[in-house]
Amino acid sequence: MKIDFTHRQSAHCESGVCSNLLHHYGLDISEAMAFGMGSGMFFGYLPFIRINSLPLTTYRCEMGGIFKRVTKRLGCQVHWQKFRNPDKAMAALDEQLEQGTPVACRTGGYWLPYFPPAFRFHFNMHNLVVYGREGDEYIISDPVFPGPESCSRRDLLKARFALGAMAPKGAMYYMKKVPQQVDMAAAARAGIREVCRRMLNTPGPVIGIRGIRFLAGQVKKWPKKLGEKRALLYVGQLIRMQEELGTGGAGFRFMFAAFLQEAASLLETPHLLDVSKTMTDVGDRWRKFAVIGGRLCKGRASAGDNYETMSTILQECADGEFAVYRELLKIL
Amino acid sequence: MTIQQRLKEILVVELNLEDFTPEQIDDDEALFGGRLGLDSIDALEIVYQVEQTFRIPMKEMNEARAAFQSINTLAAFIEARLRS
Repeated sequence: MKIDFTHRQSAHCESGVCSNLLHHYGLDISEAMAFGMGSGMFFGYLPFIRINSLPLTTYRCEMGGIFKRVTKRLGCQVHWQKFRNPDKAMAALDEQLEQGTPVACRTGGYWLPYFPPAFRFHFNMHNLVVYGREGDEYIISDPVFPGPESCSRRDLLKARFALGAMAPKGAMYYMKKVPQQVDMAAAARAGIREVCRRMLNTPGPVIGIRGIRFLAGQVKKWPKKLGEKRALLYVGQLIRMQEELGTGGAGFRFMFAAFLQEAASLLETPHLLDVSKTMTDVGDRWRKFAVIGGRLCKGRASAGDNYETMSTILQECADGEFAVYRELLKIL
Repeated sequence: MTIQQRLKEILVVELNLEDFTPEQIDDDEALFGGRLGLDSIDALEIVYQVEQTFRIPMKEMNEARAAFQSINTLAAFIEARLRS
């Protein structure tokens, strides 16, 4: 049994699932637009939350937040459910599939067999869509892969109930109602405003622009505070979170820039194109930060590739993003 | 110098592949998961070097992964971008 669902590859799992599910129901919204409408842009350096015993850095909003906000802003009705019992979770999934409903699931990445070995580690914030079943094999649209994948019931169950930080607990969600007439401009505006508010005004030192600056202050202290070996682990974790895991900093900065580019047309506000360009430049600085970190990790740092430089670049990123969000609030 | 030769130089020089010369890297051999021993952090450096050397933006790492199967696939990606 296979639902007529169009798999499209995307840069990030949640925004990709969001875009693909809306597309299934007749709303052709790009991944970038879903990311923007869902206020996906964020930053948090959360040393009190550990992934693989290393601090969590998130470059995007809370898990599920993009999908929740997009669907709310577009007037969709969504069913969300978590489970204690894995068999009930799989039965609920099967029931929806039999009714022709593609179902999004939150999973750990480690237990998905189609993940390449280099990317299989314990990370529990992955999203995918299940849209078919043939015997004990489920047909999966995993947005970060180029084509549909399949996964046995056994592996999907393990992935849905992966243990560890941010355990998915069988979480699944699907559309109950999707309106055909939606106010995309209003949703885009709301998306932008919330990003600006969060990045500029969230209290506390570890969130938003303040969080980027806080991290900048921390990074240059790491070699002395943690020792060289552990400092490199911290750097490696930062880079993975930024570039690989879909919490990605530079990737999301580029995605937000792409959203602003689309929003310029949607909102008939050409100045957003300039802001988009600025955000792309910020994304390039984030990427340079990650490249230098990578060189340190790999022992191929040259003159200028050091923690002090990384700290300086982070401050530049903070400055650049601050200017972007202030400008967006002025425009809108 | 061909794109393939330039890419191999980048691999050896920028990624410090001390055990290889550019001539020893096969155009079709796997860049990742093979004898070169490259990982995701190396992929980041390659993306950066491709952007700097060929002026081709690669903003999405997913896009990079698809092109990074081998020297030849990466060269084909670069050529396609340069043409467009």
